Amino acid sequence: MLARLRSLYHALRSRRDFEAGITEELRFHMQQYAEELVRSGVAPEEARRRARLEFGAIEAVKEECRGARGLLLPAELGRQIRYAARLLRKTPAFAATALLTVALCLGANLTILAVIDSILLRPLPFPEAQRLVTLFNTYPRAHVERDGSTLTNYYERRGRIPAFSSLSIYAYDTAMVGEPSSVNREQITRVSPDYFTTLGIGPVMGRAFTEQETTFQTDNVVILSDDYWRREFNADPHVIGRSVRVDDTPQIVVGVLPPGFRFLSSEARLYLPLASRPENRGPSRRHAGGNFIQMIARLRAGATLAQAQQQIDAQNASLELDDPQAKMVADAGFRSLVVPLHADHVAAIRPSLLLLQAGVLTLLLIGTVNLANLLLIRANHRAREHAVRQALGASRAHLIGEVLVETTLLTLVGGLLGLAVAAAGIRLVAALGADRLPLGAHIAFDARLAVAAVLAALAMGVALAVPVVWFHLRVSGNALRSESRTATTGRAAQTLRQSFVVAQFALAFVLLAGAGLLGLSVERAMAVYPGFQPDHVLTGQISMVGKKYPSPLAGLAFTERLVDALGRRPGVLSVGVSNNVPFSGGNGKSSATVKGYVLRPGEAPRGIYSYGVGGDYFRAMGFRLLAGRFLTAADSRRHERVCVVDEDFARRYWPYTSPLGQQLFEGSQPGPDSEAFTVVGVVDSVKQAGLTDEAAQGAVYYPYIYRPERNIFLVARASVPTDSLQFTLQRVVREMDSGLAVNDIQNMNERIADSLVARRSPALLAGMFAAIALLLTGIGTYGVLSYAVAQRNREIGVRMALGAQPSQIRTQFLALGLRLVIAGLALGSAGAWVMGRVMQAVLFHVTALSPLVLGCAASVMALIALVACLVPARRAALVSPMRVLTEQ
Amino acid sequence: MGKTAELLPGTLDLLILKAVSLRPLHGYGVLLRIQQISRDALKIPQGSLYPALYRLEHQGLIAAEWGQSDNNRRAKYYTLTAAGRARLREETAGWNRLASAIAAALNTKPEEV
Repeated sequence: MLARLRSLYHALRSRRDFEAGITEELRFHMQQYAEELVRSGVAPEEARRRARLEFGAIEAVKEECRGARGLLLPAELGRQIRYAARLLRKTPAFAATALLTVALCLGANLTILAVIDSILLRPLPFPEAQRLVTLFNTYPRAHVERDGSTLTNYYERRGRIPAFSSLSIYAYDTAMVGEPSSVNREQITRVSPDYFTTLGIGPVMGRAFTEQETTFQTDNVVILSDDYWRREFNADPHVIGRSVRVDDTPQIVVGVLPPGFRFLSSEARLYLPLASRPENRGPSRRHAGGNFIQMIARLRAGATLAQAQQQIDAQNASLELDDPQAKMVADAGFRSLVVPLHADHVAAIRPSLLLLQAGVLTLLLIGTVNLANLLLIRANHRAREHAVRQALGASRAHLIGEVLVETTLLTLVGGLLGLAVAAAGIRLVAALGADRLPLGAHIAFDARLAVAAVLAALAMGVALAVPVVWFHLRVSGNALRSESRTATTGRAAQTLRQSFVVAQFALAFVLLAGAGLLGLSVERAMAVYPGFQPDHVLTGQISMVGKKYPSPLAGLAFTERLVDALGRRPGVLSVGVSNNVPFSGGNGKSSATVKGYVLRPGEAPRGIYSYGVGGDYFRAMGFRLLAGRFLTAADSRRHERVCVVDEDFARRYWPYTSPLGQQLFEGSQPGPDSEAFTVVGVVDSVKQAGLTDEAAQGAVYYPYIYRPERNIFLVARASVPTDSLQFTLQRVVREMDSGLAVNDIQNMNERIADSLVARRSPALLAGMFAAIALLLTGIGTYGVLSYAVAQRNREIGVRMALGAQPSQIRTQFLALGLRLVIAGLALGSAGAWVMGRVMQAVLFHVTALSPLVLGCAASVMALIALVACLVPARRAALVSPMRVLTEQ
Repeated sequence: MGKTAELLPGTLDLLILKAVSLRPLHGYGVLLRIQQISRDALKIPQGSLYPALYRLEHQGLIAAEWGQSDNNRRAKYYTLTAAGRARLREETAGWNRLASAIAAALNTKPEEV
């Protein structure tokens, strides 16, 4: 054995010597022989010819010698690849179908893999990112699942939780950045000084923020992202100390972050200190979250999530002892949760992604089964050839090698095409809005994907070779014995092919039903009435910052003039402003206290949506008035303490009386009567965060003057589509104050559609997968039935000669196809049932076994099957007995 | 040319081992030697000789070395290795057993049954 290995080693090492040697040795042989012939009287010319002739094919001999030395592998591989390629070229239809199948199936898988890799698998781009956690307050019994953290939480916890090596807070915000002449609205993040320590990546130039910079007046500093530094400062190496105007205030640059620094999905290019007043850090503000400030922390080496949670719980419990709000928050089920940062960030999208992965894997399975079937049919065509070769002494290893080479050649080439499909797929996914998914902007085509493609292709090649090898070794042994090729051979192979068709139908049905369920969910979600008329409503955001707007009142005056000016434009029906609009993505909750309402024991004040609205907001949004009146611009101007509540709120607090004239207070505590707001109107409940919101949350609308904010939404209803209105909106604002700009301009339908992106994209993708699966199944069924017809041509001919009607023949093959389909659908229904149960969480108003979806899916499958069966069945009926019988 | 016999499968290796056991030979020499020692009764297909030589070399039963031929040309000479010698002994014994068994069987006369 060792000697053989050594021999092979030497031969490989000195391959060229070997080739030269064998050539010389054979030439020597022939010369000797020729000379001998010459000696015996043959003419030299003739002697050489005879020497060559008697020796036989030199190349074949050389090849055998190489084989004897174990050198066959590389050369034989090359030969087999050429052979396989030639075979494929000879059957272009098969080759194209197979390559397309592999390319589509692998491409789809790679696309989803790229998405999953960047969103779920790849760790966040921070050192030891698995130790990063996020903390948030939750008040489940007040229906506030997530309320962020508070300044108080931060100052109480900082340095006091042993399980954390670092703890910090941040808040996403926007700001008007730039000189008055070229001001831009920018995403910014306000962070505590230890934010960069927690993440483990800090400024590469300059420094992080200091403790002094967390109070107002001393917080005029900024840290730039690499991108901002390059674009706005031309990568100036002396940028530290220069200034950037943010919200009309110069901020001194103290640091620049490294390239690629990105926190979760944040687009922030500027980082400012999260400054606060010391009096806002005390116990009274402990629960004043509103989901604005978020907390992150880094687990100390060796510390576990459970330890951290336990320490947080213990601290909360001890702080509650002298907290006046203790009873209220306890009633609300208050807890602070510690959860892994990455998992938390992608939690919402995870089930959909895994579902999609399951979907594409099913598609891959269908494709593989389909290909296996096509290959089996092909193998049957060559059964005799293989049988003859086996009888003549071709080794099993040789046959297996040949099949393997053929299948892997197919899948590898298909895999390369699949990479191209994946590249296109990733672009498609991006177009479907993947960049709006958490971490979706990281989705990329990279080397990992290429490696995955090659590995998958190899695995697929081996998997495909198995049934074909089985066929050749087990079935074609009989091929010589059967009296001719057209005789019925290989009942086992036929059974295998037919079970493959059944499996394909079952899988495709599951996939189609799944896509149908997702699609119907989207359809149902889209059909939900949002609570207002979203057509022809244009919205945009304006930040009123700078010296012109020192007080909310100045802002109020501006909004009034703006509403007025815009309302006079042609085509504009009504205009309003609000501190927020539904579906904007920034919907924090607060609370309201109804005068005279006594909380039942254990009942918590509910989190509700609070809006400050001005102008003709309700008419602009298209709210429906149920009782009383809308708020108007006059309410703000005259400081009327009035409000409008929505139906949910009204039904909850005044189920049996009229809400009109009732009074309530802002916040979770009743105040003096002079601060009460009187309810003057009731409007429809609005889906605040998304169409699929199920819980009735309640909302209160106050006059804008009581909830003024620098950042406002402008809402305009037009009598025409809103496209042209965009420019009007921008022009009017610029004419009134050139230092302001309208951003985030979208009509309400766009906002609603955006809120469904996490539902619609998976449904669309699943639909595409199902379409491919249907195509493959159709091809597979057609292939198998066509083959069955071709194989039994002779039998059909005989039967027709004996008087069988073409219709009988047609029916026979149709019946065969339908039997397969019915078996497939029966299996598929079981699969669909299992899948529906798994999917239940991502469905909306659709049951897992929706008869509508299953019925439609079954009909589509039946239609595909009918088409796939009809063509071969018709061909069978058209068999001419004369031709078949005279053929042999 | 006398009457030639077809080679039985597997006997070529045995003949090659025997041929090179007498003295080192190049490939063409092996061919001639087999014809000589079988008194021209066995005809070796020329093309099948070399694969067999390479196979035997690969199995370590014969060793190859480049040397000078009688007419001063470079040629590859094969010699029997120790393993080859042992194999030759075994196979010869085996062949003789088989041959005598078959001969005995074929020579059986009716009265001996």
